[in-house]
Amino acid sequence: MDWIVFGTLAIWLICSVGGAILVKNPVHSILFFLSSVLATAALFLSLGAELIAGLQIIIYAVAIVVFYVLVITTIPWEKIKKFEGVYFKELSIGFPVVLIVFLLMGYMVVKGEFAQSVGKIEDNVREVGKTLFTSYLFPFEVASVILLVAMIGAILLGRKEE
Amino acid sequence: MKTIPVEAYFAVSTALFVLGLLGMIVRRNLVTVLMSLELALNAVNVAFVGADYHMGLVEGQIFALFIIALAAAEAAVGLGIIIAIFRYRLVDSTDEITDMRG
Repeated sequence: MDWIVFGTLAIWLICSVGGAILVKNPVHSILFFLSSVLATAALFLSLGAELIAGLQIIIYAVAIVVFYVLVITTIPWEKIKKFEGVYFKELSIGFPVVLIVFLLMGYMVVKGEFAQSVGKIEDNVREVGKTLFTSYLFPFEVASVILLVAMIGAILLGRKEE
Repeated sequence: MKTIPVEAYFAVSTALFVLGLLGMIVRRNLVTVLMSLELALNAVNVAFVGADYHMGLVEGQIFALFIIALAAAEAAVGLGIIIAIFRYRLVDSTDEITDMRG
């Protein structure tokens, strides 16, 4: 049963990622990206990470995808028509290289030793929240500063010059 | 209980990462290049959460949370840069931006 769930989610994920990098139309590509984000969220749910699954849906599937669609709509459509698709020469060279990288990393994963399990998490959200606000409080605050700086930077970059 | 080995999650994560890398290389459109970067970041999240489940810890999920926050920041700044490039240079293809070619 576990394998059925994992296999379905993994195939869904890989297929939607492959579609996202290979389809011609940018809007279709964004829809494939949305599908892959939902598949990742489902994979997180099957792993018992409810908080990250919810955040994945809220931040990626809602905020970031809407942002991408917004940017695509600000660019005139005839410009997009001119520059859609992929570079076929780079694809023919890049795909074997990427395949070799995948095989090397897979070999490393299969050959390597993993640390042993230290326990079991009963209540995921409670445990994550507790650890986040005790051991990782300072990085959490730094992340808020980074988000503020990114917001100001995006506004400065995106406004019209007078 | 844990019927699926952690290697399976790492394999999925690696496949996602290399596909995102391939997307960064081959796409013509700047917006979809940035989207492939997001896919590669997502792959790292899958690896973190899979290892977390294997180990019975929560630290990986916290790092995944930070990665999601940084991905949001990166999307905001990257898309702002893309809009600025498009507005001032009137290009939208990755092979037309040649101002910094040596």
